Amino acid sequence: MSRDEIHSAVETAVVDALGVDEDEVTPEATLLSDLGAESIDLLDILFRLERKLGVKIQAADLAAHVQGGIPDEEFGDDNGIITDKGLAQLKKVMPQIDESELRGKLEAEKVMSLFTVQNLEDMVAERVAAKAG
Amino acid sequence: MSPPKQADPALNPTESRYRVGVDIVGVARITRLLAEQPEIAATLFTPRELAYCAGKRRRDEHLAARFAAKEAVLKAFGTGLGQRMRWTDVEIINEALGRPRVCLHGEVAAWAQRRGLTDLDVSLSHTAELAIAQAVAVWRGDSGQSLGG
Repeated sequence: MSRDEIHSAVETAVVDALGVDEDEVTPEATLLSDLGAESIDLLDILFRLERKLGVKIQAADLAAHVQGGIPDEEFGDDNGIITDKGLAQLKKVMPQIDESELRGKLEAEKVMSLFTVQNLEDMVAERVAAKAG
Repeated sequence: MSPPKQADPALNPTESRYRVGVDIVGVARITRLLAEQPEIAATLFTPRELAYCAGKRRRDEHLAARFAAKEAVLKAFGTGLGQRMRWTDVEIINEALGRPRVCLHGEVAAWAQRRGLTDLDVSLSHTAELAIAQAVAVWRGDSGQSLGG
């Protein structure tokens, strides 16, 4: 499956699930903030991608991808602020973030608000590749 | 009259800590989702929840309220749907007189136990257009689940 096919599938899933215009679905658009997605919308998008690409991605898989298997107590501190270790992980899956700007400030609840269309496409591409391999 | 001061954990570390979560869902969103992707129902709702709502005249309102309740609980936990968690880990059941109650399963239950959850309450309401739910989580005072986090 080509990267173009994955890109197209992600774009279509986001447009159809959220009811937004195609030109709003840019790589840097954040799903929750810019495109107004809620949890239920993320689920809808993932199911559409599963149907289109044959790759199952559950909502918890999204969390696992973002958190990278780091235990909760190492990912965020007792005040719900993402740790340096957590930020380093987030930088891997969301390369667009500015670690220095977020250090000591990013609340765990706000992490997914940084997730972009490109981040989603990269995650899906990773899953497709893992399934093929 | 001044509002009462919040309990200072430093003065009384065994004081219970409270966290609230609330969520509102458009019923039409649930209707559309289930119509376009009916297989999602089993991902979101337990068999018990589906059976309860199926017996209602306005099924989708009740399902929407239950989804809102799951979200409200996860917001009260401050975690959202985390690693290894499933939507069905938060189950809304009804007591004999109809009062909703939260039943936790799987990873969400394990997470809540690790964090010292001592009580969890939920309230639901819905109209033809909207469903809303509020959850209150009570944590053991020494659990490390601070009011800010």
